[in-house]
Amino acid sequence: MASAFELRRRNQLIIAAAVVAVMIALPLGIKDVYIQNILVLTVMYAALSQSWNILSGYCGQISLGHALYFGIGAYASTLLFVKFGIIPWFGMAAGGIFAAAIALIVGWPCFRLGGHYFTIATIVLAEIGLILFLNWSYAGEASGLQIPVSGDSWTTFTFLRSKLPYYYFALGLAAVVWLVTYFIEDSKWGYYWRAVRENTLAAQSLGVQVFRSKMAAAAVSAFFTAIGGSFYAQFVSYIDPDSVMVFQFSLLMALPAVIGGIGTLWGPAVGAAILIPLTELTRSYMGGGGKGFDLIFYGAVIMIIALARPEGLLSLVTRTRPAPP
Amino acid sequence: MLTAENISQILMSGLLMGLIYALIAAGLSLIFGLMDVVNFAHGEFLMTAMYATFGLVVVLSLDPLILSPIVAAIMFVVGAFCYRGIIVHAMRARTNVGMVQVFATFGLAIVIRGLAQFAFTPDYRSIPKSWLGGQTLSLFGVYMPAPQLAGALASLLAFGALWLLMKKTDFGRALEATREDAGAVGLVGIDRNRVFAMGWGLGAALVGLAGAILSIFYYIHPDVGGPFALIAYVTVALGGFGSVFGALAAGVIVGIVEAISATVLQPSMKAIGIYAVYLLVVFLRPRGLFGH
Amino acid sequence: MKTKITRREAGALVGGAVAGAFAPGLAQAQGKQIVIGGLYPLSGANAQIGVDAKHAYDTALDVINNKHDLDLPLAKTEGLPNLSGAKLAMTFADHQSDPQKGRAEAERLITQDKVVALIGTYQSAVANTASVAAERYSIPFLGADTSSPSLHRRGLKFFFRAAPHDEMFTQTMFDFFDDLKKKGKPVQSIALFYEDTIFGADSANVQRKLAGEKGIKVVADIKYRSNSPSLTAEVQQLKAANAQVLMPSSYTTDAILLMKTMAELGYKPPAILAQDAGFSEQTLFNAIGAQGEGVMTRSTFSLDLAQKKPSVGKVNELFKARSGKDLNDLTARQFTAAMIMADAINRSKTGEPQAIRDALAATDLPGDQTIMPWRRVKFDENGQNNDCTPVLLQRRGDKYVTVFPAEYAVADVVWS
Repeated sequence: MASAFELRRRNQLIIAAAVVAVMIALPLGIKDVYIQNILVLTVMYAALSQSWNILSGYCGQISLGHALYFGIGAYASTLLFVKFGIIPWFGMAAGGIFAAAIALIVGWPCFRLGGHYFTIATIVLAEIGLILFLNWSYAGEASGLQIPVSGDSWTTFTFLRSKLPYYYFALGLAAVVWLVTYFIEDSKWGYYWRAVRENTLAAQSLGVQVFRSKMAAAAVSAFFTAIGGSFYAQFVSYIDPDSVMVFQFSLLMALPAVIGGIGTLWGPAVGAAILIPLTELTRSYMGGGGKGFDLIFYGAVIMIIALARPEGLLSLVTRTRPAPP
Repeated sequence: MLTAENISQILMSGLLMGLIYALIAAGLSLIFGLMDVVNFAHGEFLMTAMYATFGLVVVLSLDPLILSPIVAAIMFVVGAFCYRGIIVHAMRARTNVGMVQVFATFGLAIVIRGLAQFAFTPDYRSIPKSWLGGQTLSLFGVYMPAPQLAGALASLLAFGALWLLMKKTDFGRALEATREDAGAVGLVGIDRNRVFAMGWGLGAALVGLAGAILSIFYYIHPDVGGPFALIAYVTVALGGFGSVFGALAAGVIVGIVEAISATVLQPSMKAIGIYAVYLLVVFLRPRGLFGH
Repeated sequence: MKTKITRREAGALVGGAVAGAFAPGLAQAQGKQIVIGGLYPLSGANAQIGVDAKHAYDTALDVINNKHDLDLPLAKTEGLPNLSGAKLAMTFADHQSDPQKGRAEAERLITQDKVVALIGTYQSAVANTASVAAERYSIPFLGADTSSPSLHRRGLKFFFRAAPHDEMFTQTMFDFFDDLKKKGKPVQSIALFYEDTIFGADSANVQRKLAGEKGIKVVADIKYRSNSPSLTAEVQQLKAANAQVLMPSSYTTDAILLMKTMAELGYKPPAILAQDAGFSEQTLFNAIGAQGEGVMTRSTFSLDLAQKKPSVGKVNELFKARSGKDLNDLTARQFTAAMIMADAINRSKTGEPQAIRDALAATDLPGDQTIMPWRRVKFDENGQNNDCTPVLLQRRGDKYVTVFPAEYAVADVVWS
């Protein structure tokens, strides 16, 4: 049993390496900046959705407020860069740590809530964050913050025309989050989280430290979401509360995992690879008429996938396997 | 500048708006209590009802107030149809049922918005003339806008009717029984799917009533549901999931807290007051005010 | 299995790109055509703006590409004479009011559709990122209807704005107050009511500053959350403050709710002077009826200019035939932006982006060759036109009339 399990784990690593290799080579064949932009977003949402998946998929605590951590990451690095000249690489780390701290602080009361009460609490917390940023004059209120771009530079992580540096960073982030998930899956915490997800009471009686498990999952999840937020701020080089902290972002982080397969290693990546190009292409090629066709199409696809494949699209190609012992 | 008159005005406005919030939330709460489904298309149901009212006003030239039962009836059909066509499939999911329902209804919400934009264009509509529009009652210097007063009364009547329905009719007892144990009711000859479809119809009819009255004093637009839906979710959770009458109490609390925090905080931050009350309540009572 | 899906996706992407690249190729086969890109919200809360904008631009293209007896540049000819009669075309993209999407669509229009210039975007936040993308690809960007003053202060070489920005608009309002003072009706107190967006913040900041300079008391300074379910508490505060002039900066949705709530709470300020936006929309006045009488707004345009400029009435008829609406402040600015851009493309002689940029920078169009009440169109070194006088309009019956400044006024202001 153990050896079959380890074999499967090794296969996962090989698949991952192959996928990353293909993704590294992909932009060499695709020169169109618009499509490169879609690739950046796809890989970014794969990373974000995987981060979300750690808390909501593996640990079963459904959050629809991850826009809070995304926004904190975006604002932390941008404020440090614009106001203090601290390069975004440090800002990114600071944003990640700060978001993790916030996740622990709000997690302390929130993790005593169950099910929908928890989910609504996450929505409400993200809305509070949005309103605070809209009224925080130091952070530019609604006018947001502009990241000065003088030229191509890895030090300040700004590039004029090229999307490739952003793409490779996002790919790296997605790979790291994937690896973290991969190792956690087979760790003590991974077992704890699944136990908490499947049956909180039973987990408790078996000696799983339920509360600490949830807190750990929230911190890891928030950390990587904030890194994604910092990345997005650098990528767009302009942020305002309405474009980084709205509810829509929370949904967009959850959707790929749900579409692909929630609580699975590959679900978020598969979901993002389908959903993000779909979102972008329907807007670009169906949205120009103002007739709402893009909305009808996009909504119908989400609805149909959710209904026809409740386990996620991943289940089309993999037989549902029991979780490792 | 807080005079007694000001304070009574703030409380009165909050109370009226709160009762309307409660009416909007009632359907959401009913559906949730019945089958544990959070309907993410609830705001779009409200929007559909408002467009239905607008369309009927244009075609029939009747007052929205007269049309409100017709709109509620139309929404009943829409709700029951949504259950039969969509939600019933979501209920069949064997894994992660909650997320499937959330995203099936979320997809539905986007589709309804797209359809509204297609059918009515994204232009802002409003009902220019109605019996109550622009009318207002003044009592000791406290203003009570007639449309909101009507909304508040409709809300109280709807909750009263709902109470009678739940306690005094066979359908209500079937509803209650299905809520308690959906599996066992099959054994005593109750068609679970039929009860669920009726529940969805009833939930949509309640929001239809709210939409008809709202359209007297609010603009109509494909995206109009969003802000109301968020308040409805918080209201339902604050009252306690599954408690329809908790939603009534919570709606009033939300309305009054909103009115007070717009005065105490900056108006642009008034929603924070509502959110803070929600968090405070669930931290102290993790199942809301009246949840079980 | 992941690789397989990725490849399939990549195939779909490339397919999309080919389809996108194919469209202008097809157009070129039918005769020489110059394509410019339009960036607008075409879905979501502001979709109507984009829909109306398309009608405005289609009207402009009609005027440019066909013979019309109008005193406007390029109207009397077919197409662009300096480019051997090439036709002007526009392709539109939906930015959904999102800065990131706006930039992506700008890049798509530039690299796939090979547009030679961009026009947009309604929202200032989107103009911010889209114009930076245009700058990086050396494509001229003309802000038709964005009014944030920060936009032309970023040192961009390819950014232009023919219409006034919020500081100019607000200055005109306070010039009007000065004028009233001279007439012995000084304004003592104002109430600011503005939404929590860039537009609201920019507008209120200038209003607050100018009020301070002129010694006018700001008795209420209310920032509200846009698209709120209720504005009752906000209106109560306005009512309690009881200012002489209420100055709202609100889009259509909130403007409708504000006016209806005011009626319900029995609040009628002596005067309302709005920062355009929702108050330029006929939709608002359809919703509030007689309550709109006497409301004032700043604007860049007014239909009664037709009395002084015959082209205004004729363009309005062309626009109305398409959209079923009269031209308003936004659609008139959009029409004018297309005309200015077409004029610059024609003068560029080549239709190349760099040449168009230089032609735009050299623009000197007399005001009477536009449908606007402007002195002329001439861009300063930041790309801002400073000779575009805003006007103030007042609601009379079912239409707006120009009441300030005197040179464009067709009626005296009614001021109690």
